[in-house]
Amino acid sequence: MITEERFFEHFMDPVDGVLCLSATSDAAAIEREASPHGLRFPLLLDRATPLCEQVASSPFAPASSRYGPYCDNITGMNWELPDGRRVRVGERVVKSTTGYDLLRFLLASSSRYGRAMDYVLRLRPACDTSRVFCLRGDAACLRSALKSLLQSTWMHWLDSVDLVAGDSPFLRVAVHCPALEFEAYQDFLSAFSKKFSLALEPAAGPALDGCPDLVVKTTPEFVADTALSLAKHPGAKCVALCSCGVVHVFLPDSGAIGEIVRPIESALHAMGGHWQSRHVSPSPSPLEASWISTLRKEWNIS
Amino acid sequence: MTPPINAVVAALHRAAPGSRVMMSPAQMAGYESDGLGYKSFRPDLVVIPSDADELAQVVRVLHDARVPICLRGAGTSLSGGPVAAQGGAIVHTSKLRAIREISLDGFWCEVESGVNLRQLDEALQPSGLCYPPDPSSGPVCTIGGNVASNAGGAHCFRYGVTSNYVLGLEVVLLDGSTHRFGGPAGGNGPWLEDWKRLMIGSEGTLGAFTRFWLRLTPRPEKVWTFRATYPDLQSTERAIHGLVRHPAFPVAIELMDPRAVALVETSSMAVGLPKGHFLIVTEIDGPAALVDLRVESVAEVLRSAGSADVLFSDKAEDRENLFKARKAMGGLLGQVSPDFLVQDAVIPKRALANLLQLIYDEADRAGVPAVTVMHAGDGNLHPNFLFDSRIPEEVKKVEGISKRLMQRVVEVGGALSGEHGIGNDKSAYMPMVFGPESMHLQLAIPQIFNPRHQFNPMKVFTERRFVA
Ligand SMILES: Cc1cc2nc3c(=O)[nH]c(=O)nc-3n(C[C@H](O)[C@H](O)[C@H](O)COP(=O)(O)OP(=O)(O)OC[C@H]3O[C@@H](n4cnc5c(N)ncnc54)[C@H](O)[C@@H]3O)c2cc1C
Repeated sequence: MITEERFFEHFMDPVDGVLCLSATSDAAAIEREASPHGLRFPLLLDRATPLCEQVASSPFAPASSRYGPYCDNITGMNWELPDGRRVRVGERVVKSTTGYDLLRFLLASSSRYGRAMDYVLRLRPACDTSRVFCLRGDAACLRSALKSLLQSTWMHWLDSVDLVAGDSPFLRVAVHCPALEFEAYQDFLSAFSKKFSLALEPAAGPALDGCPDLVVKTTPEFVADTALSLAKHPGAKCVALCSCGVVHVFLPDSGAIGEIVRPIESALHAMGGHWQSRHVSPSPSPLEASWISTLRKEWNIS
Repeated sequence: MTPPINAVVAALHRAAPGSRVMMSPAQMAGYESDGLGYKSFRPDLVVIPSDADELAQVVRVLHDARVPICLRGAGTSLSGGPVAAQGGAIVHTSKLRAIREISLDGFWCEVESGVNLRQLDEALQPSGLCYPPDPSSGPVCTIGGNVASNAGGAHCFRYGVTSNYVLGLEVVLLDGSTHRFGGPAGGNGPWLEDWKRLMIGSEGTLGAFTRFWLRLTPRPEKVWTFRATYPDLQSTERAIHGLVRHPAFPVAIELMDPRAVALVETSSMAVGLPKGHFLIVTEIDGPAALVDLRVESVAEVLRSAGSADVLFSDKAEDRENLFKARKAMGGLLGQVSPDFLVQDAVIPKRALANLLQLIYDEADRAGVPAVTVMHAGDGNLHPNFLFDSRIPEEVKKVEGISKRLMQRVVEVGGALSGEHGIGNDKSAYMPMVFGPESMHLQLAIPQIFNPRHQFNPMKVFTERRFVA
């Protein structure tokens, strides 16, 4: 029987497509390890911010549309509790039901119980063609196009389908595929945009919007309306990660968050959604506070 | 002090008049064990609540009476989960069978915990949406059991396991209070923390689930299924390594060893699989315009790994036959052997041939027949050891092999369970994976919701014993 604490060492396993590296790594550091093996970590919000800060700012990135949230793509971590004790949570294999799922719980907990030191990332095959397209048209056409796209089997194969809500909203679709398949994607997107009277054009850059100031979690059904309405706030830019039901809100002034979320909070809670912001930490209800206090006591976190 | 059982029954009748309470030995016999079979524990009583409200009342009465409470769905667990390991009551969710809502635009459904996967799939058929997790026990197992054990299945390599699809759940805690973590939107709801994460995979040790909100996804337009045979472990491993990195991202990569193929082919479930080889079944799906482009390159991966026999088809009946053969295993094992013990470890895929060889060597040396199937894409290994639990020597041998296998799994960096859960079958192995500090963090979780381990005692961690 092993009785010692186990930790993840840094490693790259191209067969399993898993990579263990420091949680403070940025996109370039991940690519240095993964690219030589024809692999990539698709869940990025921007290229320069350390991954742990990206994860703390939102559970989702645009490519979550295809690959799920961060917590489904980080299989394990070395975690440091606030007093410096370290533990390993999760696994280096992609599937496990071995004890309570502290991995996902901690990933969602900001830094209330400590911080990630290292991540084990689930990588995906990297292909030679990456393109981003914008689909523009009037609001009604965008809405019905979005509804149809979400119900289509193509959804599993598009890296992201985002509604970028600002002065003139548009749909942003990211494609990552082998060159051989690109034509099929193009054919699909042209026919699709024609059907919904949308203009299809290449986007200027990748689907990287940075770390949001505010994240709103709703259902795919309400995500477009939520994004369009939040974008009315002065200076706000909103990106709806449509199939995830997530709105990333970018604000000129994080002081406005309370005012923005107050009108939508109870409706969000009623459908099991919520908002979160790296700038604000809400307080728990008395019942939840008692659970948290038990947990902190048991974990010896003062 | 625990009140006499008759007083508990009377209190249950008062608090939950629509619920069925059973106590006769004949009735208890059906609840003594689960799919693992050979470890049986007789409950003192079984309660079948008529609905979620009555379930909450039942939990409250049992809590007050200090009776251990074990939730049970279909009882198909393969890890000794839904059994009364410390006596007490089994609470059976068979009446919680309603599919309450399907939201086509929201991509979610709301179901009660006793709904089974086949029932859900039938209800979703007309919508063009599906709920992907597909344990082989799908025709009977319940969503409650799936969520509690974080069930997987053949198609989870690409689509993911149950935890990837639970948007929210309703749970009755020990004091009979009902709480909702998440909901259709899959967030935290009014809670600061994401408590549902601790509930999923908790194997009935934190509370009783009554309802779920599950994420749905569009059904694939077209499916190609491939079958390839391999002469040895090395070429089989090569094929699996090639498939997992293929950009077509197969949905399923399943392996049957020659003994598993032989078992199917000598049974009434025979579908004409070639005997004497390792068999890989893999599948790609998606829009027809994409998958049709990918067929040849997937076949080429299978061929170049060393298969001279690669077949593929887009016909539903071919696909059904292959998966019928793969999924028939559990039932067939029950027919050919008085007992079987199936392990559920997940291993790094580079250790695959090595671990399979260890299984064969150990089993052959001990004279224990072993039949192995595997969700190979995930590295999720299912060796089935056949034995007769009436012969103590055989039980000892099988448990010895399991322990050595688990030690090796941990050495190569694997996990004890990928989808069946720990139950009482694997709890003794937990100190192999959790050091003292991690174990401490793990055992803190029941302290929040079930501090005296009244819910499902003696499961997951051996330390979890209920003291009334
Ligand atoms: C032939 C066969 C094939 C199988 N194939 C697969 C497979 O491919 N993949 C896979 O993952 N599993 C498989 N299994 C194992 C089993 O079917 C799964 O673990 C399934 O999820 C159990 O569901 P159930 O309804 O039978 O739950 P049960 O066996 O009744 O219970 C399982 C666990 O869940 C708890 N539980 C049940 N309901 C609730 C509730 N409402 N609230 C709280 N806790 C609850 C129980 O206490 C227990 O710990 C197979 C089993 C068999 C017999």
